[in-house]
Amino acid sequence: MKPFPYFLLGVALAAPAAVQAQPSFAAPPPPATVVQDAGLRREQYFSRIDEAINWRNSQVKRDNLATMDMTAIACKLVRHEDIEACSARVIELMKDPGTGPFWMFPVVCVAYTGRGLLSPEAQAAIRHAWRTTMQIRGDTENHWAMYYTSLYLMAELYPDEPAETWYTGKSSAENLAESRAYLISWMDLTTTVGQGEFNPTGYITEYAIPMVFLASWAKDPAMRQRGHMTLDWLFADLAENTLHGVLRGPNARTTDIPVMERWNDHASFYSWLLFGNTPPTAGYGGFGLYFAVAAKNYDVPEVIYRIAMDRDADYVQRDLKRSRRRWRFSDVLSSPVYKTSYMRRDYAVGSYQGGAADPIQTHVWDVTWAVPDPRGVHNDMFSNHPYSSPDQLQAWFPTYPELMIPNLPAEGKPSYDEPDKILGASPYEQVFQDLDTVVALYNIPPGIRYPQINGFFSKDLADFSVDKSGWIFARGGRAYLAYRPLAPYTLTPYRGYLQLPSNEGYKWERVATGDTLLQSPHLKNGTIVQAASQDEFKDFAAFKAAINALPLTFSLEPTPTVKLKTLRGRDVVVTYGQPPVVNGQPLDYTKWKLFEGPYLNAEKGSRKLTITHGRLERVLDFNTLSITDSILP
Amino acid sequence: MIKLLLAFILPALLAAAAPAPVGYDLYVAAAVNKGYVIGSKIVTMNGLFRRSQQGEWQHIGYNDTSIRSFAIDPRDSRVIYTAANNGCWRSLDGGATWRITTDWTLTEPLQVTLDPGAPDHVYLAVPDGVVVSHDRGQTWHRRETGLPDRGKYTQTIQVDRTHMGRVLAGCESGIYLTDDGAMKWRRVLATDTTVDDLQQSPHDPQNWLAVTQSNGAWSSHDGGRSWQQLAGVTSRKPLYCVVFDSTNPRRVAIGGWAEGVLTSEDGGKTWVTRNAGLPDGHRVKRLAVEPGSGRLYAGVTGEGLFVSEDFGHTWKHDGFESSDITSFVFVPVLTK
Repeated sequence: MKPFPYFLLGVALAAPAAVQAQPSFAAPPPPATVVQDAGLRREQYFSRIDEAINWRNSQVKRDNLATMDMTAIACKLVRHEDIEACSARVIELMKDPGTGPFWMFPVVCVAYTGRGLLSPEAQAAIRHAWRTTMQIRGDTENHWAMYYTSLYLMAELYPDEPAETWYTGKSSAENLAESRAYLISWMDLTTTVGQGEFNPTGYITEYAIPMVFLASWAKDPAMRQRGHMTLDWLFADLAENTLHGVLRGPNARTTDIPVMERWNDHASFYSWLLFGNTPPTAGYGGFGLYFAVAAKNYDVPEVIYRIAMDRDADYVQRDLKRSRRRWRFSDVLSSPVYKTSYMRRDYAVGSYQGGAADPIQTHVWDVTWAVPDPRGVHNDMFSNHPYSSPDQLQAWFPTYPELMIPNLPAEGKPSYDEPDKILGASPYEQVFQDLDTVVALYNIPPGIRYPQINGFFSKDLADFSVDKSGWIFARGGRAYLAYRPLAPYTLTPYRGYLQLPSNEGYKWERVATGDTLLQSPHLKNGTIVQAASQDEFKDFAAFKAAINALPLTFSLEPTPTVKLKTLRGRDVVVTYGQPPVVNGQPLDYTKWKLFEGPYLNAEKGSRKLTITHGRLERVLDFNTLSITDSILP
Repeated sequence: MIKLLLAFILPALLAAAAPAPVGYDLYVAAAVNKGYVIGSKIVTMNGLFRRSQQGEWQHIGYNDTSIRSFAIDPRDSRVIYTAANNGCWRSLDGGATWRITTDWTLTEPLQVTLDPGAPDHVYLAVPDGVVVSHDRGQTWHRRETGLPDRGKYTQTIQVDRTHMGRVLAGCESGIYLTDDGAMKWRRVLATDTTVDDLQQSPHDPQNWLAVTQSNGAWSSHDGGRSWQQLAGVTSRKPLYCVVFDSTNPRRVAIGGWAEGVLTSEDGGKTWVTRNAGLPDGHRVKRLAVEPGSGRLYAGVTGEGLFVSEDFGHTWKHDGFESSDITSFVFVPVLTK
């Protein structure tokens, strides 16, 4: 479940003063210039880290210790500032410890940055809390990454201590061994069959923080190296999937706001911090400040930096990921996710084959277009089936079904059971992508809740028109877009979710966003989307004419089927429930590699990722725990 | 011969030798989850509570919102096991200190059960099967031979009190039985939905009852080898718990979502709904009958603890406002 961001709430409440004090958040977007000089790149990286920490420290009022939360303490400690106040505040906060991974990792951050600085009493208070307060482990991969990293580092910080001094009832050595075993197992899984919570717009921070902590503070050189290599792995994946710093779809997990305003989540903080190619999100990503505290222990490899910043050609990247585990109602524990990205300067198209990668927050496919300043822009187009099922939730969560859906809004997932939702995956959606063509077919059984298809049309589209041919045309930035619904529909204003101040879980208000929702109440259904750059056509009319001239036939009964020639000249046949066929060849997902493309390559099962840009190459080999940099001939 | 002695004769002799209890301490696992998600601060007191015969509730152990089940060693009530988010916790000192006996390979167990004939043997129902410990949770072993690769989500597990190592597991795909301490399982009832609870009659050990999420309620009169569906019990609403009245062999009760409390006073032949005094919605998650008194308890989701002195005819609130009660255990008090 998603953490409740009390910290962000505090930022929001203090918004007028706080937001103004965030230079890069308020400033024009950074230039897209590739910084060639390694020293300058690092200097600028350090400068961004300092900006984030300066901002957090500026929020602390010395006469009001309550303004000093764990983030502020960590930011103060890393600067060696206000040590006495930090110690006093730590002692106060440790009198009433929290529970769970979102409490643990901030305390680990303070414990490590406070080594040799915090008073013995403050350090003892931290240690005492880890003896007396049960820490709940959570139920997601990001929870466990934080939980076991935190436990690992605390066990290393306090080695050789007996079982009765830990809340687990296990000795330092036992805690260390268990944590190490899990972390290695998770890294093994990720580097052999793919990451579970892949390309998360928000949860990237819950992986980046524990890994930078390991890379910074693990005593064991092997675990330190693992942390470093996993950071490289995550950030190479981020760089590959960002369009001018903005992470686009598909995403194993995202939320109702960034699914339309693609920039607006923590991934953008990381793009800003690491690459400097997009503005940071408000409050520097909230939790992201903990990353910033340790970030100077990490160097962004040039090869990854250049993948994010320096692209001179379009590219297709195919990645293998995996779904969250299903406890029941499924023939498999975890299913493979076959992900396709087509990246161009003006837009990107991304998808996976459909089905649920995660029960609630998955975003399966979209076209995202580039914009000079992504803040406030809803820069994507897609459709989905608004699937909602208490029984299906039971597949993923070992609990009774009745209260799961009613409780979701208070847990930060307000749209799950709304028929007009634009977030979430369905078992009745099958998606095929070839370059910048997407065919999404829907075959919804009768009786399923919300028997309709939703399509998202942004307020930021220009020249929106419904053509007599059935195609809907629009321009997004410098991208020309064509969207073909395969069944009758209506267009209505879309209402999004405004988070309200609350100290008792999340509270929401539905508000008009200016966007438009296509709703098509037909069980057999489909969407075709094609995109092109405006540079490819004389004008928008020429693009429309080209689309209208393409051979297209489809039928929805008995099974949705589409046969078309794409804008790129490929003959495509897509039938729901069957492998897609391109130029007469059926697509064979079993041949999918862990990564395959111009920048990232890895064989399934290999534990070895080759990151390439031009002549630069970095090989992350988890078999030997080695990082090998090369200059290719 | 030794097995026979351990399985049947020794427990009987021990039972015969044990003094009659003068009363029972009620233990419950309770959680107030309003507004709590992973990462937020727990502002309520949750976990294990014990009510003494004087009626006072005492919190035991950690403030844990995630306890789904607990078990207490019949030989020593200071030995407590909980099935919670982190795994199986164990206390050897009445809840003063705890140890997570499982590791990362086991998560979110749904039920913990001890073998009455061998209380060092601990069975854990987990979302991906069954694990067993023969040393009070020091070590754990998966015991899933005969369970399907998929369909072994195990909600509930119960040991035959008259036969050490004879265990019934309620899974996603049916009821499974083992006679050898879970070394081999065989399916004795196929269901297409999760079996939520299994209970053995305190009067006749051959009699068992089971309830399911959408396949109704079932009874067995041959120790769980064969099952018959109970007529008169709905299959349309989820049933979460079943309980025998140890003071009256004709009385049984079933609890469920929306259905509330169903009772039978003729051994399960006919059933009536008894929800007078329960909150609207009748979201009954757990039921328990106090040995000796026959007092019927109900844990109502989000509403707390309710008690009936007349086997469900009337109910009154009995504490834990707004809480979920996930598990009950009665511990005999042998001396005043």
